[in-house]
Amino acid sequence: MGETYFSYKDQKWCLSAQRAIYWEDEKALLIADLHCGKSAHFRREGIAVPANLVQEDLFRLQRLITQFSPSQLIIVGDMFHSTYNNDVEYFNTWRHQFPHIQVHLVNGNHDIMPTDVYVRLGIQQHDHLNIRNIHFSHDPALHAAGEAQYVMSGHVHPGVTMYGAGKQALRLPCFYFGEEYALLPAFSAFTGLYSIKPAKDEPLFVLADGEVIRMQ
Amino acid sequence: MMSNSKGWNIITEWLAQKGQQPFAFQEEAWEHLLHGRSGLVNAPTGFGKTFSLFLGALIEWIDAHPTTYQQQQNNGLQLIWITPLRALAKDIGRAMEEVIAELNISWKVGIRSGDTSTQTRKAQQVQMPEVLIITPESMHILLSQKGYPKYFKHLRTVVCDEWHELLGSKRGVMVELALSRLRTLSPGLRTWGISATIGNLDEAMQVLLGPGNTDGMIVKADLHKQIELHSIIPPEIEKYPWAGHMGLKLLHQAIPIIEESRTTLLFTNTRMMAEMWYQEILRLYPEFAGLIALHHGSIDAELRMWVEEALHNGVLKLVVCTSSLDLGVDFRPVDTVIQVGSPKGVARFLQRAGRSGHSPNEVSKIWFLPTHALELVEAAALKTAMKEEVVESRQPVMLAWDVLLQYLVTLGVSDGFDPAIAFDEVKSTFCFQDIEHDEWLWILSFLTTGGEALYQYDEFKKLEITEEGLYACLSRKISMRHRLHIGTIVSDAMLKVKFMTGGYIGVIEEGFISRLSPGDFFTLSGRRLEYVMIKDMTVLVRKAGPGKSIVPSWNGGRVPLSANLGHMLRAKFNEASKAAKSKDIEIKSLSPLFELQNFLSYIPREDELLIENIYTKDGHHLFVYPFEGRLVHEVMAALLAYRISQLTPITFSIAMNDYGFELLSDQPIPLTQENAHQLLGMENLMIDLQTSVNATEMAKRKFRDIAVIAGLIFQGFPGKHKANRHLQSSSSLLFNVFKDYDPQNLLLRQAFNEAFFYQMEEARLREALERISHSKIILTTPTKLTPFCFPIKVDSLRETLTSEKLADRIKRMTLE
Repeated sequence: MGETYFSYKDQKWCLSAQRAIYWEDEKALLIADLHCGKSAHFRREGIAVPANLVQEDLFRLQRLITQFSPSQLIIVGDMFHSTYNNDVEYFNTWRHQFPHIQVHLVNGNHDIMPTDVYVRLGIQQHDHLNIRNIHFSHDPALHAAGEAQYVMSGHVHPGVTMYGAGKQALRLPCFYFGEEYALLPAFSAFTGLYSIKPAKDEPLFVLADGEVIRMQ
Repeated sequence: MMSNSKGWNIITEWLAQKGQQPFAFQEEAWEHLLHGRSGLVNAPTGFGKTFSLFLGALIEWIDAHPTTYQQQQNNGLQLIWITPLRALAKDIGRAMEEVIAELNISWKVGIRSGDTSTQTRKAQQVQMPEVLIITPESMHILLSQKGYPKYFKHLRTVVCDEWHELLGSKRGVMVELALSRLRTLSPGLRTWGISATIGNLDEAMQVLLGPGNTDGMIVKADLHKQIELHSIIPPEIEKYPWAGHMGLKLLHQAIPIIEESRTTLLFTNTRMMAEMWYQEILRLYPEFAGLIALHHGSIDAELRMWVEEALHNGVLKLVVCTSSLDLGVDFRPVDTVIQVGSPKGVARFLQRAGRSGHSPNEVSKIWFLPTHALELVEAAALKTAMKEEVVESRQPVMLAWDVLLQYLVTLGVSDGFDPAIAFDEVKSTFCFQDIEHDEWLWILSFLTTGGEALYQYDEFKKLEITEEGLYACLSRKISMRHRLHIGTIVSDAMLKVKFMTGGYIGVIEEGFISRLSPGDFFTLSGRRLEYVMIKDMTVLVRKAGPGKSIVPSWNGGRVPLSANLGHMLRAKFNEASKAAKSKDIEIKSLSPLFELQNFLSYIPREDELLIENIYTKDGHHLFVYPFEGRLVHEVMAALLAYRISQLTPITFSIAMNDYGFELLSDQPIPLTQENAHQLLGMENLMIDLQTSVNATEMAKRKFRDIAVIAGLIFQGFPGKHKANRHLQSSSSLLFNVFKDYDPQNLLLRQAFNEAFFYQMEEARLREALERISHSKIILTTPTKLTPFCFPIKVDSLRETLTSEKLADRIKRMTLE
């Protein structure tokens, strides 16, 4: 129930309710907007958000890795929230559990640490990443895709509002597959939602209570 | 006796020279003040309440320095005058300065508020004036200055003006905390409050003086103001809208009243209404141009000041205003007040009525203009309430952890605090008298370790413990940020609105502008403007010609009906069944509407509860009419929805107004004559309330203010929008994060408490349910919408309650 398979743009995607996609043919786990270090950044400035948020996010990522056994992890931008802090160190420790997994980061606007930090953490940085016909770009508006390529992005933290009879309304995170580009939901639990309005025929999946539900 | 003292004689002689003599209550207050007592003065505006305490302080000064009282300069701070409104400070200061000048005393009067220039503040800190008029926020900012205790060495008296306005709000808690500090710094300090009449004057005094003080005095001015209430009654009540909130249809009936008066204040309940009224009057009666002005909180301060000045001079015929003119100095020319829509409470209505006819013997005239037909019943209820002198109480805020956290950081950024002393002071306040030691420890650890000392990677910084054992803030950056965020008034981010060519118009909420596209038209300060773009936190606009425009709706416009008015309202509806014979002209005029209600459904007596079950194309509606006010209805609706949802998986959308509430579902609602009493019963009340999902939703809304006050949400430095985007988060995100990962957080608990005890008014809810349990329930199934249900049905602010699985609900939903 926690996953849904969906074939689109010649590729087969496994959408997980844990805000990730598994791309079986490339043994790649895809996530976006991890915002690692966000809570530490807040706490260092005297704003007491819970300190264990990074652990919770990385624990969820760990379970996804155990479930799918990927050989590569692709993070479509905003992996770290801000400048260097102790959450980054926590990630380093976490990273040592999976030395065999390649970590690719498609740089996002939050990824502002010096290159050597990423090197030390075993992270390969890319401005854009091309695999098969897929072009990964953090911000869908800033892609550099060729004609035959399909863009996969993060950045937006997509959410969608649904309406029901009796004037009900509900807003949930979602996967969006448009004609030009796809959007991944933000991975971190410490992120908000930005409402998107898909066109009628564009595939859209909402995440609700551990389920992936196709809306259209 | 004191009344023979030199000071006393000088003051009474000075008054006599002006042809005045002190009111009895003023002399009583002087007497108490001179005996070193604290207390509360209860007097209406316009009767010299300022002088009851200020002149007392002067008498004391003269008595203490009988030969040198005129010569002695730079005596240090003697009197602090706390005022809730910046605008009031200037006028009070002017009045005080006049007295001082005429008596040749060398005192200085200073003002310290958000409007005071940095230069003046610095000068004050070098040499404090003898009298400092200050807002609660500026008082705390003063406590955040290094070495602040030296300012209060000579302080004798603190007066808290308009205390009824502060009591019951977190600004009141700020005053309580500041006073607790001052009492340590200036032993023997006297605390006085000045309050309009409220239902709980004794408690109001106790909050101000602290629960430890048992000999406070209440000084009452036995002066009564006569108030005349008239209703503007629509000529054809059948055709007057059943719902709505503008009342513009009655504009032409308001005009003759305005024309016959010298100056009129027209009060609306929201800024949006004020803008609409202003525009409509100018559109339909262009001859008013130049004689009419607009006054509300979003208008440029300079323009507001001009309006106030013009009111004093009597050059304006009409000012359309909001609560922005509820308080403050009296405008003599004002002889008529028009209230558009329900004022929702007796006290507010009295206050507004009091804005007209100031001389002690003059009659205050107020007109009630209903915005929809049934509102006329409220006018009738207000009349009775005024006759019987039932005025609402203001409930003091208890255990406001957010304010305490902010206050302790304030002390931390100035000189640091000793936790033992701070605990005793904090516990001496009314708000925190029940603080547990565990809670205090949590507060301290939240400030020093962010609540999680055990996490090895943690870099939390706010307060640190110094070698002397003081809790202090050592980070300059955090200190600076904190000083800019002192206060408990939380508003949406406001953007300035300016013309492309320059020229400031006012401020507007960011949330409103974000819904507009360039080229849209909106209204502000009574002008029609074209939205061009946002640049550097400023909305740039162009002047636009006449035409349609969007009127911004400001938040906070929905004031709930008070319990007193609710009670009166039920009594009036009781008369509705024989409306044609009613003594009240309002009820009588509504009789056609009541006949229709009776024909379609029923009119409940005082010992009956009406429930209407109606089917429309929107779904199945259940309308319930307890007449208890919006807040109680919100909770009762959630409770009833929850209990029904336990019978069967069902989803409701909920709406309410002050008369009743609605449950709307896409499925039939299984409420029957047989189970109705049980579904609205008292059994398992607390458990059901807490389990009902909406408790979380309500708490989430309360958490917004809490998070800002406690410093969890950083709103950015003024003018520097982008620089701190890595620190931005929303309160609902923080709420979810705390709920999932730190459920013991005291601020989270506070949010639930505020939702339960303040928002839900649990006591009132119990009373209402108790009453319902003895009432007969009348269940009707009208074939179409009734006059009672219509205003509720058209309400667009709705909430949801469900017992269905999320996935099941989603499967029946669509994206449009």
